[in-house]
Amino acid sequence: MKLSQRIICYWSVLSLIWASTLLSQAQNTTYKGMFRGSSMKVDGTSTVHDWTIESKLISGSIELEGAFPSNLAVSAVPALSGTPKADVKISARSLKSGKPKMDQVMLAAMKADDHPWITYSLKSLAPSKAERKSGDALAYDSLGELSVSGVKKEIKMPVTFTPTEKGMKINGKIQIKMTDYGIDPPAPKIALGLITVGDELDLTFEWHTQKK
Amino acid sequence: MKEQTEKVDLNRRNFLKGGSMASVMAVMASGKDVLQPSPSLAQAASTNAGPPVKFGVIGCGYHGRDIVGTLAVLPNAPVVALCDHYGAFLRRAGRSAPDAKQYANYKDLLADENVEAVVIATPSHQHKEIVQDALKAGKHVYCEAPLASTIEDAKAVAMAAHQHPKQYFQAGLQFRSDPQRDFLVDYVRTGAWGQTVSARSQWHKKTSWKRAAPTNEREKEINWRLDKNLSTGLIGEIGIHQLDAKSWFLGKQPQAITGIGSTVLWKDGRSEPDTVQINLEYEGGIHAGFDITLCNSFDTDYEMYYGTDAALMVRGSQAWMFKEADAPMLGWEVYAKKDTFFKEVGIYLVANATKLTTVTGSGEDDAKDNPYNDTPLYYALENFVHNAYVHQSGVEDFIAGFGDEDEDVLREYLVELEGSKKPAANYKHGYEANVIACKAHEAILGNKRIEIPSELFELA
Repeated sequence: MKLSQRIICYWSVLSLIWASTLLSQAQNTTYKGMFRGSSMKVDGTSTVHDWTIESKLISGSIELEGAFPSNLAVSAVPALSGTPKADVKISARSLKSGKPKMDQVMLAAMKADDHPWITYSLKSLAPSKAERKSGDALAYDSLGELSVSGVKKEIKMPVTFTPTEKGMKINGKIQIKMTDYGIDPPAPKIALGLITVGDELDLTFEWHTQKK
Repeated sequence: MKEQTEKVDLNRRNFLKGGSMASVMAVMASGKDVLQPSPSLAQAASTNAGPPVKFGVIGCGYHGRDIVGTLAVLPNAPVVALCDHYGAFLRRAGRSAPDAKQYANYKDLLADENVEAVVIATPSHQHKEIVQDALKAGKHVYCEAPLASTIEDAKAVAMAAHQHPKQYFQAGLQFRSDPQRDFLVDYVRTGAWGQTVSARSQWHKKTSWKRAAPTNEREKEINWRLDKNLSTGLIGEIGIHQLDAKSWFLGKQPQAITGIGSTVLWKDGRSEPDTVQINLEYEGGIHAGFDITLCNSFDTDYEMYYGTDAALMVRGSQAWMFKEADAPMLGWEVYAKKDTFFKEVGIYLVANATKLTTVTGSGEDDAKDNPYNDTPLYYALENFVHNAYVHQSGVEDFIAGFGDEDEDVLREYLVELEGSKKPAANYKHGYEANVIACKAHEAILGNKRIEIPSELFELA
């Protein structure tokens, strides 16, 4: 093969790779996290009262295939051809209780100075087998990796997708244990003794995204 | 056996007296057991200070040095820079902050990247340009009150704060950060004093207000407060805190002010009167008097609020309620400590009484009775440190997640963050109090009545 033929051949291969990459990108839609409407709540218990901390800053993005429904008028939750890429992060110090001293206690327990970000990355997403009516949000069973206080754990979590005017609303809820993430439940002292915080936490999120 | 009985009684008494009035009122409203103790996670949290904020103090005169000394007491407010064009003041302030860099020009201090926040304690008429430059330089700003000596300058200061949402701004209206007053406002909002009738305040101290200096030129410069063209006088430089407290407690701004003033004792060439009185008029026929003098110390300073069911007296970090005979029974007052003032019985009102161990006696143990015995300046600066950190970390987190292209959305998030901040005066409070102070000053100098259009309180 002559040099000129080889160059043409290489160019053709490169062009094909480039074109296929572009095609694959065109097939996916990236949804970027929005501040407005987003919320991540952590509900906990203690020996004196229940408590909640909340962050409004859920950033990151999720890539969904182009054929993903843009409304809920579908007969069934569609199976996906691959695992969507999704990476989410929340600043630990953005979790607020409305009580400054309690925020300090929680940040210290989470070792937020050393591990400032709570992160999540998606590993698989399969249609939920739960019964569904037309108009219900699109329910999936997710498997992902949650990192809190520098400790990574795989978690299974049911999530729902609801197409919105700007993008996609994603909801989910899961129960975790502080000790699973190396967090000692805070036990602050008070005049009447110690308060003991319960190990189990309910994490509830609503994530609003917009098409990039 | 007797010893055991006494012990039990003492515990019970202390427990009852230690019950927070707010908690008692809240549980009464909810119909729950009044004697249920109500510790919370927030109360139980350690008192460890939050992350440090590094300070520069601009203006090291008498009040500036008080600020440097107060910051030195706070565990997370290192003073890393000081500025004053007068060397002697700079050196004196340096004794409380020996590691701080010293600057003669405030612009050099603002260029110091080690400085995260500045306290501006220069004469009031010099605040505007320094605030504007500090915010442009990316510093958080605590600006002493009044914000300025004119309404125009105060508006410029407030607008600069508004236009720099990434920086935290706090007006030096200290009472807004005082835990006792913050608690009292909640009490006032319950309507416990009935229909508001009137209010009255005073600030009395026998002192010349004149400061000594080695040269005539320096003496003129340092005594700017006595010059009616540079200062808002007693009503602005001293009275602004109590003026602001009136607006805060009454929940409204005055519609007109009548003022009078005279120089009774200190006839040393000053153009500011040493004794002033004003009458503030609010909607609904409510009037509030306020007198300030440098000629007599009797009864020092306090605020009174009169309602159809009770009067409220606030003195320093303490407060008492004086009930009318026909006022409805609230219930909790049966257990509260009472002090006698001549023939009147004052029911002691104290914030966060669950921290108390000895709410007893006849007023001699007042210092022990109140868990908040630090100065209003201490609380104001302590809250500034916390709020500046919350603000800065919020801005950083927001930008890390969403970029900084959309300032409107950032502002929305900062509004959400307000609930995580500690009580403090914002630029709007600072401006509104400044309007009242300037108008009161004008009324005093002219011995006249001045109407204040409500639009004057608007910043836009």
